Amino acid sequence: MRPVYVHGVSVSPSWADPTCSLQDLIFVGVRDALRSAGMSATELDAVVLAAHDLVDGRSLTSMVTAPAAAAYLKDETRVGDDGATAFALADARVRSGSVETCLVAAWGRLSEGPVDAISHALFDPFTTRPLAMTEIGVSGLRATRALAEHPGYAAHREAAAARRDQRAGDPGRTPAPAWPLRPAELPVWSDVVAAVVIGSAPTAVEVLGVGMGTEPFELGDRDLLGLPALSAASGQALDEAQRGIAEVDVLELDGMTLFDEALAMEAVGAAARGGGMAALATDHRVDPVGAAARGYAAPAMGLAHIARAGERLADGEGRTALATGSSVVAAQSQAAVVLGTA
Amino acid sequence: MTTAPVPAPGGDARGTVEDPVTVEGRWDFGYTYYAGAAASRFFNELRLNRRIMGTHCPQCDRVLVPARGFCDACFVEIDEWREVGTEGTLETFTILTSSFPGLPEPPLVVGYVTLDGASSAVLNAVCGVDLTDIDAAGLSLLSQPRVRVKFRDVREGRISDFAFELVGK
Repeated sequence: MRPVYVHGVSVSPSWADPTCSLQDLIFVGVRDALRSAGMSATELDAVVLAAHDLVDGRSLTSMVTAPAAAAYLKDETRVGDDGATAFALADARVRSGSVETCLVAAWGRLSEGPVDAISHALFDPFTTRPLAMTEIGVSGLRATRALAEHPGYAAHREAAAARRDQRAGDPGRTPAPAWPLRPAELPVWSDVVAAVVIGSAPTAVEVLGVGMGTEPFELGDRDLLGLPALSAASGQALDEAQRGIAEVDVLELDGMTLFDEALAMEAVGAAARGGGMAALATDHRVDPVGAAARGYAAPAMGLAHIARAGERLADGEGRTALATGSSVVAAQSQAAVVLGTA
Repeated sequence: MTTAPVPAPGGDARGTVEDPVTVEGRWDFGYTYYAGAAASRFFNELRLNRRIMGTHCPQCDRVLVPARGFCDACFVEIDEWREVGTEGTLETFTILTSSFPGLPEPPLVVGYVTLDGASSAVLNAVCGVDLTDIDAAGLSLLSQPRVRVKFRDVREGRISDFAFELVGK
């Protein structure tokens, strides 16, 4: 197995820019990642893309968008999952020796469609869709349970939201709330293209470990607070990296709402059980402005967090980073990546 | 000869060549989803017998509700049917404010309830909650109260054939 390094990253947030098509946005994001890597598209051996037809409103969306992601005549793989999962696949391609360089790209352009309705359509037509369930609704279910079980969540939610500084979005950019979630705890929808170039040639940031996990399909079977798939994925990534969570000094954890982020802190072991919200309010391993700066757009967020983790390491914020990405529906599958300074 | 733009019949000559162009799109297909044998029996039991049925996994000893044909944790087929109780605990809930065509108008309380005798929770509407003050309503339900199943008079073999209501209301 060969070591894998991060060569370049790009995260491009925007909202309803009428001068750009989806393909234009992807082209610019991928071009910026290649520039960051100091590479041209011809130097890429492979491309792995993450996109959702339902989000993009285009069937076989990557067929339309792959050329904009530098996939023309390339070894190309498409996944209908979060960008962090695409990253895990790209890492395997390079680590195995199949390719020397690989681009990973993920995008979501939420300004083109009705996000709440798309989110609703993701759910099971027999058991949950008839009950108006959405991704925000699931986060509401988690939040209620967290408030019931962990008194610290109520005590620290305002401070955590204030530190996160999530600004209220323009009309159409915030989801319909689900009690007990408050406006400052909700995501601001965005148009996001994330791209990362990895390869076998050494750089300042190495990919030390990768892990993935999947929970049951039925929400009623799941541990909504424990997020066991995230625990398994992060544990696997840390084991592979031969690091403990205490050695991680940069955290980039994917969560759609403030409560999802707080519970993720606990699931990866960065906060004690019940202490996730307090940790969000004070823990400097968490980038408080990251979410507000980018907004939220599935399925790009896992890769956006990986990219941001790489940037933070390169900026000297620490030596080891843990980044995660969760998939629809309701974070059923999770991917975790540990990066380290070489 | 004229220098002014000449629109096609019925065309529009306003604007510039830089104006952003958009088109409207809509996905509106019809699907027929097959529930499968286990889920079909679960829904038909609701419709015909006003019973909530689960399936028991012999390996992990869980009674799974809604009933299903295999246990994903043990990865074995399961076909031992068990009726579960019509009362249970409201494990968690949320109050939804999204409005979707053909579904109950918001605000809507939905919650996961572990019925007595079941090992997993089932989602459904919680009715009879005073939602005049949403925050007060939510706080009143945080204590994981007991609820009971209330079947609809007219049932169609759907999850909406029943809802939950608070015990004691």
